[in-house]
Amino acid sequence: MNALSGISITCFSASYAIVLVLELSRLWFRSGVRGMLLLAFAALGLFTHTVYLVNEAARSTASAPLSSWRDWYIVAAWVLAAVYVYLAAAHPRQSLGVFLLPLVIALIVTAHFLADRTPFPQSDALRVWATVHGMALLLGTVVVSLGFAAGVMYLVQDRRLRLKRPLSGRFRLPSLEWLDRINGRALVVSALLLSVGVLSGVVLNTLNHRRDTNIAFPWTDPVVWTSGLLLLWLVAVSIFGAVYKPARVGRKVAYLTLGSFAFLIMVLAVLLFAPSGHGGKPGSNHGGGRGADSSAEGIRR
Amino acid sequence: MKLQMVGCSHHTASVEVRERLAFSPQQAADALQRWQQLFPHAEAVLLSTCNRTELYTAASESPPSHHEVAEFLASFHNIPLPEVFDELFEQSGEGAVRHLFGVAASLDSMVVGEGQIVAQVKQAYDLACSRRSTGPITHDAFQAALRVAKRVGTETTIHHRRVSVASVAVADFARQIFERFDNKEVLVIGAGETAEETLRYLVDEGAKRLTVVNRSLDRATDLARRWSATARPWSDLSALMTAADLVVSATGATEAIFALDDFRRIEAQRFQRTLCVLDLAMPRDFDPAIGECIGVYLYSIDDLRETCEANRRARQREWPAAEKIIDEEASRFVSEMRHRASAPTIQRLRATCDELKSVELQRLLNKLNDADVRDREEIVMAFDRLVNKILHLPMTTLRDDAEQPHHTGLIDALKRLFQLRD
Repeated sequence: MNALSGISITCFSASYAIVLVLELSRLWFRSGVRGMLLLAFAALGLFTHTVYLVNEAARSTASAPLSSWRDWYIVAAWVLAAVYVYLAAAHPRQSLGVFLLPLVIALIVTAHFLADRTPFPQSDALRVWATVHGMALLLGTVVVSLGFAAGVMYLVQDRRLRLKRPLSGRFRLPSLEWLDRINGRALVVSALLLSVGVLSGVVLNTLNHRRDTNIAFPWTDPVVWTSGLLLLWLVAVSIFGAVYKPARVGRKVAYLTLGSFAFLIMVLAVLLFAPSGHGGKPGSNHGGGRGADSSAEGIRR
Repeated sequence: MKLQMVGCSHHTASVEVRERLAFSPQQAADALQRWQQLFPHAEAVLLSTCNRTELYTAASESPPSHHEVAEFLASFHNIPLPEVFDELFEQSGEGAVRHLFGVAASLDSMVVGEGQIVAQVKQAYDLACSRRSTGPITHDAFQAALRVAKRVGTETTIHHRRVSVASVAVADFARQIFERFDNKEVLVIGAGETAEETLRYLVDEGAKRLTVVNRSLDRATDLARRWSATARPWSDLSALMTAADLVVSATGATEAIFALDDFRRIEAQRFQRTLCVLDLAMPRDFDPAIGECIGVYLYSIDDLRETCEANRRARQREWPAAEKIIDEEASRFVSEMRHRASAPTIQRLRATCDELKSVELQRLLNKLNDADVRDREEIVMAFDRLVNKILHLPMTTLRDDAEQPHHTGLIDALKRLFQLRD
């Protein structure tokens, strides 16, 4: 148990990095044991990742899960890693990790940069809404990332098929039909999840406003309006797909998932570099000093 | 090692000779029966495919000569031996083992790495077993050959890449576009051999909604009946193209049957749905410009042939690895066989010496009435040591000889010197 309590971010990051290197090595040589090694390291990474999250939850004094941006990113990375482990086991001959693992590692690295952010304080009355808000946005991020990976894979596979390049024994990708399905579903599911996330944020702020009329809705918070833009994009894309049949298939869907990811990157960049009431830096004038989650606490006039 | 093989293959014989010497399964069964009547002490397995006819024979002592086997093959088909003799080839001992392993592992096939041959070798062996024409040598050789084929399949990628145009079209291209085929509308244009071969691969992949269209509706109906497909008249081509997900075109038309303008007319109704066109005709049935349209993946026979060639080259690259396995396995097999062949002689030599030792020992002990128990035990042990020391060197030399690829005749010499009989 002592050994498990010492697990750090480095442990699972290193495991995922090894898996990524193994996935990339498919491009150069064949190996009979790589598949097993790859799954073993991926499972080890996911296990240590899980233990880390459990240890963090036990140590945390926060009142709710996902109570800081750091937690939020590490949980998002965990969900994406779990999806990868499932896909790697179900499709062992395909190089899915080349596209998914960089996203997992990027989320962990982002979490590392957000370590100094203060947690979101939440009162007991708002805990449920805060959890719904956090979970929905987290899963939305995961699904958009997954859609992005599938979109890139689609474009690579599409290019390979158009150039009539022979099927590579080393670097295999899923069929266009499978990737197309994942892309389409990622768009719709991420739109739904983001809608739930934004709506629960509105409910949180309404409850806060009722409790304290000095708390206003944080319209000007960059994280809020960029998230709103991402939601608008996803809803527009979903409506476009519903009314314009050709937009449901092929490269268009792949480009739309890339667009969604670009919006997501914008939200994450704003979170990292712009002043925001969503769990700001310590000592910041934008709510961070209070460590306020603007969705939960709002911004005081 | 008394295994030998006489036969012909695509390397040595023309297709006409191969056809004349080929055996149907019933003929093979009859031939094995006749073999047993002619050579009751010899084992036989007959392998006959479209590319080879090979008769593997074996006997523990004095097997039929190559000429007798060749005569047997020719006379079964009522062919005068001189007409085919030059196109036959033979292998004996280790060469025959190596050849059999290479055949089973598909290294000797016309299309290296094709998967059918191992099943054909197994069928030939099963048939010989059922006709009781096999024996210890052919059992061991054929079981080892099947094991070697499996090892080559597992440890190399020689079987992995497809080399026929139809299989490449389906597995390397259509399979990369569609995840499943059971819910896809498959349109086959033409009713010739290529169309049918591609249909076979598609059905293997799970295609169910199959439509055949051909200028001659009768031929389309005939092909459709064989593959549980629907036959439609040529006039429906545009409508069928609108509904299709996958098109296989292999007509004998002298010019394109589907121009870009024809596709433009149906494009709007397709809503840019993915369309995979496998144009296996020469000259091409589809205007290449159609391949530039949104959602269309068009492959001509040249594109596919290029992949076939690349796959063939990839298989050739696996050849040394496969050959190394065959060398390794053949050497091990031959060594085991030689050990097995020398073991009875060694056992008989030891038994003869033990028998002599016992007789002389008994005579000596009868004369030494005064000797106590301890002295008697010493004498027995001394006799045992003497026999062991005398036999040690000859037995080591015999075992070493068995390891060598070429026998020096020591076993035979030993049999004659000590008059060891089987």
